[in-house]
Order: sequence, then C-alpha cells, then structure tokens
Amino acid sequence: MSNTMDGIDFAAIVDKERASKQRNWLALTAAVIISAVWVVPFYYLAISIFKTTEEYSLNHPLSLPSGLAPVVENAVTAWTHAKMGAGLWNSALYGFLGAGIAVFIAALAAYGLSRIDFKRKNLWFMLIFSGTIFPLQMYLIPLFFFYQKVGILNTHFGMVLFYSAICIPFPVLVLRNYMNGIPRDMDEAARMDGASEFTIFRRIVLPNCWGPITATFLLQFTWIWNDLLFSTVLANRAEVRSIMNALQVFQGSYSSTGPNVVLTAAVIASAPSIMMFMLLRKHFMEGMRVSGS
Amino acid sequence: MASVCLKDIVKVYGSDIAVRGINLDIPDRSFAVFVGPSGCGKSTTLRMIAGLENISHGELQVDGEVVNDLPSRDRGVAMVFQSYALYPHMTVRQNLEFSLKLEKLDHSEIERRIDEAVTVLELHPFLDRKPSQLSGGQRQRVAMGRAIVREPRVFLFDEPLSNLDAKLRNQMRVEIKRLQRRLQVTTIYVTHDQIEAMTLADFIVVMRGGNIEQTGTPIDIFEAPANLFVAGFIGSPRMNLLAGTAVEIDGQLCFSNDDFTVPLPSERFADVLSAGQEITVGFRPEDIVPEQHGIEPTRSVSVTGAVEFSEMLGNETLLFFNINQTEIISRMHQPRIVESGETLNFLFNVDRIHVFDTQSGNSVLSDQVTVG
Ligand SMILES: Nc1ncnc2c1ncn2[C@@H]1O[C@H](COP(=O)(O)OP(=O)(O)OP(=O)(O)O)[C@@H](O)[C@H]1O
Ligand SMILES: [Mg+2]
Repeated sequence: MSNTMDGIDFAAIVDKERASKQRNWLALTAAVIISAVWVVPFYYLAISIFKTTEEYSLNHPLSLPSGLAPVVENAVTAWTHAKMGAGLWNSALYGFLGAGIAVFIAALAAYGLSRIDFKRKNLWFMLIFSGTIFPLQMYLIPLFFFYQKVGILNTHFGMVLFYSAICIPFPVLVLRNYMNGIPRDMDEAARMDGASEFTIFRRIVLPNCWGPITATFLLQFTWIWNDLLFSTVLANRAEVRSIMNALQVFQGSYSSTGPNVVLTAAVIASAPSIMMFMLLRKHFMEGMRVSGS
Repeated sequence: MASVCLKDIVKVYGSDIAVRGINLDIPDRSFAVFVGPSGCGKSTTLRMIAGLENISHGELQVDGEVVNDLPSRDRGVAMVFQSYALYPHMTVRQNLEFSLKLEKLDHSEIERRIDEAVTVLELHPFLDRKPSQLSGGQRQRVAMGRAIVREPRVFLFDEPLSNLDAKLRNQMRVEIKRLQRRLQVTTIYVTHDQIEAMTLADFIVVMRGGNIEQTGTPIDIFEAPANLFVAGFIGSPRMNLLAGTAVEIDGQLCFSNDDFTVPLPSERFADVLSAGQEITVGFRPEDIVPEQHGIEPTRSVSVTGAVEFSEMLGNETLLFFNINQTEIISRMHQPRIVESGETLNFLFNVDRIHVFDTQSGNSVLSDQVTVG
C-alpha cells in the first residue's frame, strides 16, 4: 500500500480555511462594540469614586477625574454617614450564618433524598422545591406580621432564621442531583466498613461534594448580601441593619452627598462578595461542572 | 474463618422474585464461585450475604449463627466491588485505614494490619496516592487490601476482574487464588467468566432464574452436568446437543434420530434408560475428533461431514459442520487452516457421551451427580 495522496490539492484547502477565518472579523467587531456598551457602567463607577462632589457636578459624568486623592474622603464620608461598619458586620453575619446553615441543611436533605429509601420521596422533594417557584415577595407581608407577633422583628436571630430558610430549596435541588451521580457502591463499601449513616454522609459523601457546596454557598451568600427588600422590612434598626439597607440613607439626603460618595459606598459594599468569589473561585468552577468525580 | 449456610433464601423486589429459595452450604475455608447468565440473581444473593439487601425469607448463618438481622459490619464479611468503590478523596492509606479507625483499633494494630496487606499486595509505592492516580490493576489491589485489613470471616467478590484487560485479569486471578490459599478465608466469588469459575473454585454454584441448577466441583460440573442448561452453559465452545430417541438395536441400547445413531455404553445407561424414551445426547467439541487429526477415541462413531468454516485459534482449530440442520463444533488439537468444504471423518467419542431426558432436561444419570 502506498501512502501518497495524489489528487488532493492541499494549497486550496489551506486557502479555504484561511478565508473562513477572515470572515470572522465582522463578528469580532460586533463583539467589541457590544462589550464596550457593557463596560460603560463599570467605567462610570470606576472614575466617579475618584471625583469630589464639585468636580462631579461641573464636568461631564464620563470625563476622567483630575486626580486619585478624593477617593479617601469619599470613602470616609460614606463610611461614617451610612454607619457602614455595623452594616458590613451584620451582612457578614447574615451571609455566613444564613448561607452556611442553609447549605448544610440542604446537604442533609439532599443526602436523604438521594440515599435513603422512604415513601413518597418525590412528593417531599417537590414540596421543598416548591419553595423556589413562587415569587419571594409573596412571603413578605405574612412574615412581617408573624415576626412582629413572635417578637423577632429587628433581631439578628430573626434575620438569620429567615435567610437560612429561604436559601434551602435551591441547594437541595443542586446537591440532590449531584449526589445522585455519586456511585452507591461507595456508600455500600463504607457501610460494610462499619460506617453509620451519618459517618457516610460526613466522611464519604460530603467530601465529594465540595464543588457544588461552595458554589451554592457562594450564590446564596451573594443573594443574602445583596438582598434589600427583606432586610428593609424585617430589620430596619441601625443595630441590625444590613449593608444594603444601610446604603439607603443616601436616598433621603441626596443634597448633602453627591453621587460620587454613593458610588464609593456601593463599591465598598460589594467588595466582600466579590472577594468571596475570588477566594472560592476554584471550587465554584468545579461545582459548575456537570458530572461528579 | 467461618462456614456460610443459606437456608431457603428468597429475595423479592416488589412483586418480582429475584432469588427463589436457595439452599447452600459453604464449608469453612472453601472457595465458592457463583456463575450463571445475567440477571439470574448472583449479585442479589451475594448482597444479601453482605448485608446490603434485606433477606425476604429464609435463614443466613455464618459459623452457625443466624445473621439475618445483623448489620453488615457485625457479620465479619468484607466485599470487593466490581467498580472497586474506592473513596476518591482519600489516599490509598486512608482507604485502607477507614474501617480500622471506625472500629477504633489501636494505632499499632492498625499499622500491623496495613503493613501486612500492603506487603502482600505490593502497594508500598502507592500509599500516598489518590485512587485517581492509580492504574486499573492497582485500584483492584487497593480494593482487595481494603477487604484484607478487616480480617473478615468471609470474603465476597462481585465480578472483581471484569474491568481489567485480559492479561491483567489472568494475573489477578492467580493472585486472588494465591491470596485465598494463604489467608484461608472462606470466599464467595461471583463471575461471568468460565475460566475464573473453573480455576478458582473449590466448588461452583450454577444459577439460573433465581434458582441453583447445580452445585459441584469444577470437574463434576464439567464432566457430569446435571441438566441441559448446565451442559450448555459450562464449557466453551458449548456442548453439541442432538435430540432423538433411545432405541434398541440388536440388544444394544442406542441413541437415534433421522441422521445419526450412536450406541450408548450399557455399563452406564442400561439401568437408567428404556427404549422409546425421548433423549438428548451431548458431545463436547473435544470429544468429536477429526480422523487423523488427534488422539482417536477407542470407541467411537464416525460421521462424515463437510467443514462449513473453521476458526484457527493458534493452539487449536475449531471446525464447524452440520448434521442435517444442527451445527456441530469439533475441536481439532492441531492448528492448521482447514478450507471450507473440506470433507473429514469425525469420530464421536462414545465413552464421553452425555445423555439427558429431553422432557425434563435432567441428566439421566442425575441421581449420580450432585444437584443443588
Ligand atoms: N434493586 C432492585 N430492584 C428491583 N429488581 C432488582 C433490583 N436488583 C436486582 N433486581 C432484579 O433481580 C434479578 C437478579 O439481579 P442480579 O443483580 O442478582 O443479577 P446477576 O445475576 O448479578 O446479573 P449480572 O450477571 O448481570 O450481574 C434481576 O432480574 C434484576 O432485574
Ligand atoms: Mg451482578
């Protein structure tokens, strides 16, 4: 058998490939324009925090700042004005405890749903899952009156309780699917090795779920951190106020602080959740992958 | 070290019966192999012994003690899974330690057991690796190590070698046998593979449809299959079967159908067969010898056949020919290319004939063989 390839015009094939590549510049231009539009708000944010209120009002909003120094004063004004220290502390408390408790309970539920045989398993699952299909605002009014009656309005406890509860269903969905993909042989081997149900959960199944656990934790943490509606209604006192709620002080006193201060406050307020993402990025991406190990 | 005894064991899934009343005695230190077609209940039976499935009915004894309601960790059984089921997030050492730490053994005892298993299985270089960093054969050895360190009374294997390539499988098979000899632990082993069954087993349990078809030593099962199913299932290529009638010709009991007549040795069959009975006879491929191509049997019937096609396997050649509509396979112990259409005389070894009652499917000698 010979290995020559007579009759195939390689030069023509190469040209054709190149031509099809060149047509891509159109798509590229479109992509650049679209990304530019998308980037404008971030640009606006980035330049505004370096302007004084005066500078901001005199020049075009998209013009470059004359220096970097004003950011410090902006930050100090924002911090003291909105009592951001307390707000950040409260939000961290709600975020870590709320998302943490929710994901832990969700993991337990997901384990049960994927591993333990009991009657009407699907019904239970749908019941939990139904928590995510109604608009959340629906819970607002009844919850307010209930909290008022029980006396946990404006308390840390009440907020953590609410956030934990509301954040359970979604991780259950994700973790149940993920755990279904972890081979049953592995738990059976552990059971024969003498592990109790809880040991199997903690030592065998959980360690293989870190990806989706951090991913859902991060998502729920960010949701809690950014929540304005529930924190406004259920915890409006300064001691229990969340950071997003705290930012609202700028609404009423617009005259005394310019948009540059408000934007600086917004940047400070969103920094922690961005940092969390950076820290857990690796696990997060892992959790987004479809299959188990 | 323990005997295992199954009494009327039944497993029901919903309304499906997976295991239909199994009785089996597995003596201490012996190696039992379950074989049978897919879905016949081998794994289910093994899993009931392991304590991974409830026993619907019947009694399971380990060393004379009823263990039906004992959780598997208290039964003193250890299992090697087909998928190995290693813990992916733990190193090899942690995999081996897991059960021992749960048992709260002291440090020195844990070290001793791990050291022993690691030495036997030559796992030293891999102790700090994760399972994903091991080859298939190495994972297999870790899975066995995990069973060994527990020092169980009974080893259970569910098709442990089926994920390995042929060469490694042969190697591990020998290793498993050597290990069992050395450790002297009662072993129950499930497989599809006839070679594994024949070479590993002290006795083979042939199952079909949730029942035991035959129990016996490999040689028993091969030489004296209790029924048509076992005859067809064990042996590769399968036994050649021909249906017909028992007739008497000149005072000699014979098997006969339209195309083929063969005398039945009276010392074996005179007492158990009567003329007119519908019977099926069987010849293993190696008992049909092409004339002048092997050791010719002392008593034989010759049939002339045109070879339809042949398979040269290197150390032997399989010849396919027809007697009327029935395809017959002959094993020629000489590797040589045989052209299609070549006509040969085939000598059917009369002394090695198997005779079954067509209606019941049972061997006519069935009271002389062990039937489960
Ligand atoms: N969890 C289950 N639920 C319902 N039926 C089951 C279950 N497990 C097994 N079965 C059924 O029980 C029967 C025996 O299954 P088993 O796994 O023991 O077969 P097997 O002999 O091990 O087959 P294979 O050689 O393919 O592994 C099959 O018909 C199977 O469909
Ligand atoms: Mg099986």
